Amino acid sequence: MIVRRIVALAYKEWREILRDRLFFTLAFVVPAALMLVFGYGLTLDVERIPFAVVDQDKSAMSRDYLHRYIDSRYFDYKGDVASEREIEPLLADSRIRLAIVIPPRFQESLMSGRAVAVQTLIDGTFPFRTASSKGYVVAINAAFNSELLGSYISRRLGVSEETAQAMAQPVGVQLRYLYNQEVKSVWSIAAVLMMFVLMITPPFLTALGVVREKENGSIYNIYASTVTRGEFLIGKLTPYAAISVINFLVLWLMATQLFGAPFKGDPLFFFLASVIYVTCTTGIGLLVSLFVRTQVAAMMLTVIVTIVPSVLYSGLLVPIASMAPGAKFEAHLFPAMYYTDIVLGSFLKGVGLEQLWGKVLALLIYAVVLWTASFLMFHKRPKS
Amino acid sequence: MNGGPAENRVRLYLWWSRLAAMTAKELIQFGRDTLLLIAIAYLFVFDTYMAGNVGMQLNHAVVVVHDADHSAASRELVYRFRPPYFKLGGEVLDNRAGQRLLDSGQALVALDIPPHFERDILQGKPTDVQVQVDASNTVLGFLASSYAAQIIGQYGFDQTLARLGVTERSMQNVPMIRDEHRVWYNPNQNDAWFMPIAELLTVITIMAIMLPAAAAVREKERGTIEQLLVSPLTPIQILLPKVIAMTLVILLGTAVSLFFVLHGMFDVPMKGSLVLFFAVTALYTFTTAGLGLYIATIARNLAQAAMLAILVLMPMIFLSGAWTPPEAMPAGMREAMVLSPLYHFIEMGYGILLKGAGLDVLWDSLLGLALLGMVIFGFGVWRFKRQFG
Repeated sequence: MIVRRIVALAYKEWREILRDRLFFTLAFVVPAALMLVFGYGLTLDVERIPFAVVDQDKSAMSRDYLHRYIDSRYFDYKGDVASEREIEPLLADSRIRLAIVIPPRFQESLMSGRAVAVQTLIDGTFPFRTASSKGYVVAINAAFNSELLGSYISRRLGVSEETAQAMAQPVGVQLRYLYNQEVKSVWSIAAVLMMFVLMITPPFLTALGVVREKENGSIYNIYASTVTRGEFLIGKLTPYAAISVINFLVLWLMATQLFGAPFKGDPLFFFLASVIYVTCTTGIGLLVSLFVRTQVAAMMLTVIVTIVPSVLYSGLLVPIASMAPGAKFEAHLFPAMYYTDIVLGSFLKGVGLEQLWGKVLALLIYAVVLWTASFLMFHKRPKS
Repeated sequence: MNGGPAENRVRLYLWWSRLAAMTAKELIQFGRDTLLLIAIAYLFVFDTYMAGNVGMQLNHAVVVVHDADHSAASRELVYRFRPPYFKLGGEVLDNRAGQRLLDSGQALVALDIPPHFERDILQGKPTDVQVQVDASNTVLGFLASSYAAQIIGQYGFDQTLARLGVTERSMQNVPMIRDEHRVWYNPNQNDAWFMPIAELLTVITIMAIMLPAAAAVREKERGTIEQLLVSPLTPIQILLPKVIAMTLVILLGTAVSLFFVLHGMFDVPMKGSLVLFFAVTALYTFTTAGLGLYIATIARNLAQAAMLAILVLMPMIFLSGAWTPPEAMPAGMREAMVLSPLYHFIEMGYGILLKGAGLDVLWDSLLGLALLGMVIFGFGVWRFKRQFG
């Protein structure tokens, strides 16, 4: 391994990247643009759920009940409809996602001390949104019920309204959200987006690098030269890894400065862990490009090994904890999952190497395996 | 130019036969790349299958308990944290130990029951249970806190009713709202219905942009486009076959995925008209292929094309409405979503498959997609013509 040759190769690759102006620009623009768009646009908060009402009672009490939905920021009142039959087309067209049906004699029954069934129809197309909507509905009903129960107790036992309210809800809940006090999805999302963008862009930058030389035939210059396999791979990859490290720094700045995500961890630890991660993702691109013969196939294969796992198995949208065993296994195969823990740990939890050494080790092993596999798969004397 | 009808017929025949020949050429070229074929089969079959194993539900979240009371009442509360949502992860001796488990991600929820919990309840004194939730993943944090609050609220409610001597039978005589929610279209909120459809539509999008873009750029990069340009083919006859060939491939893949994976393995209902679904898919593929062609006119090599494709693809996939509720998006973004073809496709895809919606309901989405399609495809062709015409 001669350093001078590696430097020469890296310089040659760098010149080639630099000469392709559009590609060079895109190498920096794409990560920043993705971060910008998703940071502002990718919100998982379920708010402003459009809903309609069938109020068959039209009493003071039913209005009071409905106003708890209408005044909530989680719901967006779209108006009253006359009958249940009119709900179906609205739900089918996604104009509303929820409908509340208040039965006739709602007020009368409650006043005379009888239970009333209120029907809620929820669009189940997007299960996570459905679960959240259901949670809001249950919470609103519980609050309303404890008031009803309070006045019922005060009437039945003859105690003051205040004591009765306390009796109606004896166990309070003190909720504390750790690490992300306001459950702001932009905080955790801005952090996790770094993982996501660094999972996708480096492999795409790299993947076409080697296969392009193969398809163009310029790889024969390498085959015929004195450059060794290791020198070629390192020299080829260094510029791409360097670009990715710069991108990482830009993304880090964007996450903390632009999106205001708090960074509580150790910057040096985070930087080093990220360099390992970038080495991994660059290595993925390298392995892909050694595996295929055409650039088109390299593109599609990179889609498979980067976009798909980073959407589904990285913990960005879908929490790893709620996966079935098969999917969990697949999640463990990709480096994204480990880095997600490192990012969240460094940003929100403020933990360092003591807690995260396992994840760093996993990334390190991943990087070594990828690079070794690439080294073994690259031959200067191809068979065909 | 003004030949007789016979000459016109010949010209028309020639036009179509050239188109057919070029489409066949694209298909043959496509079929030669074994690895590419495997990659596409993987995406349509295995990937949509794997997506069915993934969900966004709270599933056996680990709850650790610090029980300072150790009474019958506190035990009853703790035992309500049951699967499928929660799983008890044992007891900790103090709050610090609970905090450590949350830090290392071994637990999601730490429950802290205060001393004299049972006594307070029996005496009618209000008492508070502390719930600490790891909210670093907002989806899980939100669901866990919501369910925990439900469980504890219901527990308090039951205690009060028991004290009042209300039995299950006399419940009808307490003024209360009985919550009866019904979930439509996916009554069990089965993620295996939602995720594979979302994944299939995503895969279609990826292919519809990347394959035509790659097919066109490759000819540019290798210089074979010059050969085609000197042949009697018009730019449309060069361009259209690429899109037609890829659309055929995508429709075939969609059919396989829909019948064998979505319907076959996950029992996703196909309530609406399948003809409509495939027609919409074809229209969508054409629309997005226009984006691919546009990319092909900008890019000079595949590396550029790949980066440009990502720049277009990723925002389209994420801001399509499958992941982020359109109504919760910030104002400017919500309008921008309407410009994404995938937004309309998702609306129609789920509408047809799960809701059984027909044209009477979906006409506006279809119109939106058709308009977008005309603009995008027209623009792509125009750019191509200008570059090579």
